[in-house]
Amino acid sequence: MMVADVIFYLFATVTVLSALGVVGARNPVHSVLFLVLAFFSTAGLFVLMGAEFLAAILVMVYMGAVAILFLFVVMMLDVDFSMLRRESVRYLPMGFVVGAVMLAELGLMMAHHPGEGLHLGLDNTDNTLAIGQALYTRFLYPFEVASLILLVALIGAVALTHRERKRVHRQDISTQLARTKEDAVELRKVASGEGA
Amino acid sequence: MSLNHYLVLGAILFTIGIFGIFLNRRNVIIIMMSIELILLAVNINFVAFSRFMGNVDGQIITFFVMTVAAAEAAIGLAILVAFFRNRATIDVEEIDSMKG
Amino acid sequence: MLEHYFPILVLLGAALAIGGGAMGFSYLVGPKRPYHEKLDQYECGFAPLGRIRMRFDVRFYLIAIIFIVFDIEAAFLFPWAVAFESIGLIGFIEMMLFLSVLLVGYAYVWKKGALEWE
Repeated sequence: MMVADVIFYLFATVTVLSALGVVGARNPVHSVLFLVLAFFSTAGLFVLMGAEFLAAILVMVYMGAVAILFLFVVMMLDVDFSMLRRESVRYLPMGFVVGAVMLAELGLMMAHHPGEGLHLGLDNTDNTLAIGQALYTRFLYPFEVASLILLVALIGAVALTHRERKRVHRQDISTQLARTKEDAVELRKVASGEGA
Repeated sequence: MSLNHYLVLGAILFTIGIFGIFLNRRNVIIIMMSIELILLAVNINFVAFSRFMGNVDGQIITFFVMTVAAAEAAIGLAILVAFFRNRATIDVEEIDSMKG
Repeated sequence: MLEHYFPILVLLGAALAIGGGAMGFSYLVGPKRPYHEKLDQYECGFAPLGRIRMRFDVRFYLIAIIFIVFDIEAAFLFPWAVAFESIGLIGFIEMMLFLSVLLVGYAYVWKKGALEWE
């Protein structure tokens, strides 16, 4: 178990440091990249806990999509971020107080319930199979509600950001194909010498 | 590796997330990233407890949390984009035009 | 179980060593003689016009959102496929329900023209 301990401390340190980077980086692009690193090292911790499927989803969905969405928005909005930073020192003491209180509370709670001897059991079951068997039987309704949440996210995001562009000439393929010789070409007999 | 290790890590991450909200009170994007960190801390706790209890329910809840968090990020950033189009800023303190 | 991940750990270590090594070594060994002209912004002999940060179009963002939603949908499909034999017909029906709800969203997006790249 020694190797697993070392790996735990490695990933945990990287997670905490990159979380601090997310919060403290001056350039928001760096914040997003630190967020990706935090997600990645947490995926490592998930593997260590035997939650292989969630680790894969974390890498696939979070690093592949959500973090990239944040990156897009940071790049898309041409904001002067130094302006937003300017007065943030004003909130710093308040942040420290709230953070310290939170940490003290959590620490106190843990001191009263020492879990030192509670070792995480390791089993050799197929993680994805176990999730599938529980998700589609006991968690049937939450699963169907998840589809509604995704539907709302899709429709809401498109309704909020999509704008119909006027003055754009679109190619309408079915109209093009439906054009016949009769409505496109007109033949006229012009008497010789009388054409304009 | 005991359960406590993971719980302490979750607590530290959670506190960093809360702290980040206070530190970047004017930048909505960083606030949303701090919320993602908080959710990540919650997910670590869920998975650790799921492992400890020896059943898979915590991992399924984590899956749902991830789904909701992705939906939340999509909608939140869409609102942010719409707001930026109208006002050309993402300063939280400017979002008060509804105030009487 | 964990020993199956040992090759990935080795790969991670090797990637870090090669990437970090290349950057660190060139930083240490490479010559650095900066002067004002070399560090200046460069734009074909003019003083720089405009800003460096270019704004992305919103259309990229729309595509990214649509991608996220269907990415999660695909993530729900994996455990379903693995556990398919043990959850039987009920599992099949509920997954079809799930997919049909998202199909409504897809139809909306398509009808709205958000998939078109004008």
